[in-house]
Amino acid sequence: MKRKLIKNITSVFLSVLVTLFITALLLIIVGRNPVEVFSMMFYDVFASGYGLGQAFFKATPLIFCSTGLAICFHASLFNIGAEGQLNAGAFAIAVSSVVFSFLPVWLLLPVSLLAGFFVSGIFGLIPAYIKIKKGVSEVITTIMLNFIVMAVINYLLINFFAVKATFRTEKISDSLMLPKFSDYTDYFQGSSLNLSFIVSILFAIIVFYVIYKTKFGYQIRSVGFNPVASKYLGINVNKTTILAFVIGAGITSLVGLNYIMGYKGYYEYGFSSNVGFTAIAVALLAKNNPVGIIFSALLFGVLDYGGLAVNTIVPKEIMFVVQAIVILSIISTDKIVESFFENKILKIGNNLGNT
Amino acid sequence: MYSVEFKNITKRFGNLTANDNISLSIKSNSVHCILGENGAGKSTLMKILFGVYKQDSGEIYIKGKKISFNSPLDAIDSGIGMLYQHFMLIDDFTVMENVILGKELTAGLKLNFPKIRKALLEIIGRYNLNVELDRKVSDLSISEQQKVELLKILYRDSGIIILDEPTAVLSPVEVYEFFNIVRNFIKDGRTVLLITHKLAEVKEIAETVTVLRKGKNVYETERKKLDIGELSRQIIGDIFPKEKIKEEDIEYISGKQKKPACVVKLERISYSEKGKNILNNFELNINEGEIIGVCGVEGNGQNEITDILTGIIKNYKGEYERKTDNISVVPDDRLKKGMIKEFSVGESILLRKKGENKITQKRALYRENEIKKMYDIMIPYPGCPMAKLSGGNQQKAIVAREIQLDSKFIIFSHPTRGVDIKASSFIYNKIIGEKNKGNAILLISSDVDELIFLSDRIVILYKGRILKEYTKEEIGKSLETGRMKFLEEVGKYMIGITE
Ligand SMILES: Nc1ncnc2c1ncn2[C@@H]1O[C@H](COP(=O)(O)OP(=O)(O)O)[C@@H](O)[C@H]1O
Ligand SMILES: [Mg+2]
Repeated sequence: MKRKLIKNITSVFLSVLVTLFITALLLIIVGRNPVEVFSMMFYDVFASGYGLGQAFFKATPLIFCSTGLAICFHASLFNIGAEGQLNAGAFAIAVSSVVFSFLPVWLLLPVSLLAGFFVSGIFGLIPAYIKIKKGVSEVITTIMLNFIVMAVINYLLINFFAVKATFRTEKISDSLMLPKFSDYTDYFQGSSLNLSFIVSILFAIIVFYVIYKTKFGYQIRSVGFNPVASKYLGINVNKTTILAFVIGAGITSLVGLNYIMGYKGYYEYGFSSNVGFTAIAVALLAKNNPVGIIFSALLFGVLDYGGLAVNTIVPKEIMFVVQAIVILSIISTDKIVESFFENKILKIGNNLGNT
Repeated sequence: MYSVEFKNITKRFGNLTANDNISLSIKSNSVHCILGENGAGKSTLMKILFGVYKQDSGEIYIKGKKISFNSPLDAIDSGIGMLYQHFMLIDDFTVMENVILGKELTAGLKLNFPKIRKALLEIIGRYNLNVELDRKVSDLSISEQQKVELLKILYRDSGIIILDEPTAVLSPVEVYEFFNIVRNFIKDGRTVLLITHKLAEVKEIAETVTVLRKGKNVYETERKKLDIGELSRQIIGDIFPKEKIKEEDIEYISGKQKKPACVVKLERISYSEKGKNILNNFELNINEGEIIGVCGVEGNGQNEITDILTGIIKNYKGEYERKTDNISVVPDDRLKKGMIKEFSVGESILLRKKGENKITQKRALYRENEIKKMYDIMIPYPGCPMAKLSGGNQQKAIVAREIQLDSKFIIFSHPTRGVDIKASSFIYNKIIGEKNKGNAILLISSDVDELIFLSDRIVILYKGRILKEYTKEEIGKSLETGRMKFLEEVGKYMIGITE
């Protein structure tokens, strides 16, 4: 475990370095001074509470979504449908908060969140069921479901729930809104950073514990590693697959917690701007380790906000390129670090052990 | 003239010395056997020769020339082929695709399918390999998969062939065929390095024998001076294993218990898969304190019986009664079915055990230590994933994991496949121990000697039904009139001849 941890941290660190290097090259090619771009970006992010707050704010949905995805990925379920799942859940949170607004807050909050979890979860249940019954790969079904979910939300919005001439739901009651950091400290003045950031971190830690320290987590990983052997170990493979998919998908609904209860107060069509896909990269970068996800989501948050900050001198799309390079380099540095550890470190350890 | 010379080879993994200053010369055009208990370092030495690992120190000479391989590809280029202990085939590809894949990677040839097919058929004919080129590997039995691996090696025309425990996965008849193939290798001028645990096989085929113990070359002898007793002593180190099972143990239950209760009962079980009948009216009764041996060539329904008993297969016809909820099972294929190789021994135990809902590193290590001592399992470092244990140690860990569940019914499927004599006798001892505790045991094996040794009753399975049943008394009587004759008789039933 410790060995693996050091290995993983080394390879993530290396790949971030490699990424910085390649990005610098790219910037030079397009005729920009990388030092200028980087310093502007880091200055904007880290020099003010606003910048930092926005970076954290952008990391929050990624933490929620990647954590949910990590559960699926540990079970070897390649869930590409988070974008649809989180939209379905967020929509359900917004709608139920409005529809049940007669309930007292202490009841309304859990009801809305459960509704969100439940609706997102259904879109995990469907691909899981089809995979088990018909053997259809979840990659295909979840991709298709993305389109279906968005179409259905579109229909429901236009016909029932949208405020006239907009693509958004009615605003939820103010009493449901989460406190913002800026309410308590001037440091984060102007930033949308809110309580859900802390919730997301706690959530990631809980999921970490479940995956690595409980029987249920071991069962999920066991099914992910080797479903056949899992059967002989007495694990109900179908049940575990369904649970992992439903829980994983369900958690993605919490993206709505940040946006709806922490920020805008309503669901807006297209609000997620592909968080469900970026989250795949975030989870991958963290090797599906939820605690690692906190850090990789923060990195992506910094890049995301940093991209906006330097938009005046380079197109903000450059940050998508950077995110892509991070992923590519982690995949390649992984192998290098792996073999380095197998050969060198073991030898060093051995020599130390002998003296 | 030597084909291969190892000079002072040392290889360490962490602070475990797998090969300790080994020097060894392999005569050209002969079979050189390498013996040693599980974890002695045999596979490691072979993998060094094949370029999988790099030695920490020492040199290797091939035909007198010093070589240094960076990967198996280099070794293959120098005419070395290796049959791994665990096969390296791609399940979804056909036999032909698997063979080409190997070559394609090494030579980058343009593919001329008709020509390749012709060449392969020629090899198959010459060595009697008996595999169909267009079948998917996933549909092949283990012994057929092994032939595919041999085909790969022969297609690249390797002159030096390493065989790592090839017979561990074969039944007696298949071993006989296999050795004929190996003899043909020698006839064609190839050199063979053979790792095995079965001393009878060594006697049959070895020109030279080397024994490794704890990573050291401790003994070497020639065909003429071969002495089985001496070999066993050299392998184990100290005197013959004290675990050697005593006759009284076997008699114990039959003498004491009067009317043992039936624990597991299968009646008229039929099962078919994809329109193919696999089990036909199969019947089985297992009592407390009884070991029932199921004997047969692999693929006659053994795995399906296991799967029905464990509840993995549910859509069978017939009656299945059982007096216990807990079933332990040691599956036939340890890599595919027996373990999650990414988990450590301790983690696997906690994962398997009911009621252990928290799995922390500390608890896992505690369990691991406990089992490690009790079962004498060699584990490279605490908490190490099971993938890094040698095959025999993996098997012991699986047996340990299943036994400590305290189930009243245990299925052992090929429990000592690929396991050395010391570990085998250890596992036998444990199986008998479980029987003596009054547990019901199903032993599935293709090793007839193992079945004779352990079983209270042996049933011979052929095409999904019982062709013949022997009680302990019948086995005893038959043995008196001659073991070979009995084996022959059993062998005939195994291939469906009833006379
Ligand atoms: N890749 C590895 N990493 C760590 N330890 C290893 C590795 N491969 C083998 N070992 C250890 O080296 C020892 C020798 O293993 P091996 O050569 O496989 O034995 P065998 O004689 O049974 O083939 C064993 O204790 C095994 O656990
Ligand atoms: Mg070995």
